[in-house]
Amino acid sequence: MSASPITLLCTVLFGLGVYGTLARRDLVAVLACVEVMLGAASVQLVAFAHAAKVIGSGQAFALVLLVLAAAEACVGLGLVLATVKRAGTQRVDELTEVRG
Amino acid sequence: MSEALTFWLLAALALAGAVAVVFSRDALRLVLGLGAFLLAVAGLYAYYGMGFLAAAQVFVYVGGVLVLVLFALLLLARDGGGRLLAEGRFDLSAAAVGLGLTVVLGVTLRDLTPPAALGASADLGGTLLGPMLPAFELLGVLLLAALVATLVVVGGGERS
Repeated sequence: MSASPITLLCTVLFGLGVYGTLARRDLVAVLACVEVMLGAASVQLVAFAHAAKVIGSGQAFALVLLVLAAAEACVGLGLVLATVKRAGTQRVDELTEVRG
Repeated sequence: MSEALTFWLLAALALAGAVAVVFSRDALRLVLGLGAFLLAVAGLYAYYGMGFLAAAQVFVYVGGVLVLVLFALLLLARDGGGRLLAEGRFDLSAAAVGLGLTVVLGVTLRDLTPPAALGASADLGGTLLGPMLPAFELLGVLLLAALVATLVVVGGGERS
């Protein structure tokens, strides 16, 4: 069982997602980067489940994660649309209403 | 040998998709990159012997969420006008945070070996998808109702 390459892959994917979430200035792009982070975590979970020989419960956990991520994308995109309708911009650095 | 090749091909596809999502300047390329990434994730699920999960990933993500993102981009283009996405730019502090987190996670997970047996979680999975299946399904209906309600509250307030 080679757990190391998949861990490396998921770590790099997660780091890429973190960078994109912080650096992107577009709301939809930020959401897409969050999806990348979620996908990386999910793949790592599945790899661990495979290594521990618990295919069934690993699959159940990843399925719950998948549904939650889909719900998150749904609500997130709805919020993006509402924000754009209300504030007239989808650039993160132009939304300064609650800046301290 | 071909198994390793499959893994590395899927890993390369996932990496390429993620890079496209993080760095692309074009909205459509971002969505295509996300699609490639999600398909590669589905392939990795299948590679680890979780066929049902791979199929669910393709249905829910590639069939559902990706189309949702496309529709959102469509609506945003109509609402905001002009360019869809702000041009990508290099952000040093964000790169530092991302790289630091990558290193921390890599070092933490490197020596981690999964436990031999996860009895409790195996029980949970069996319970969740066995005797509790009706409740589990009802939870899905509840989730859907919550989503619809959220969208109505968020988006359906004013029409002009």
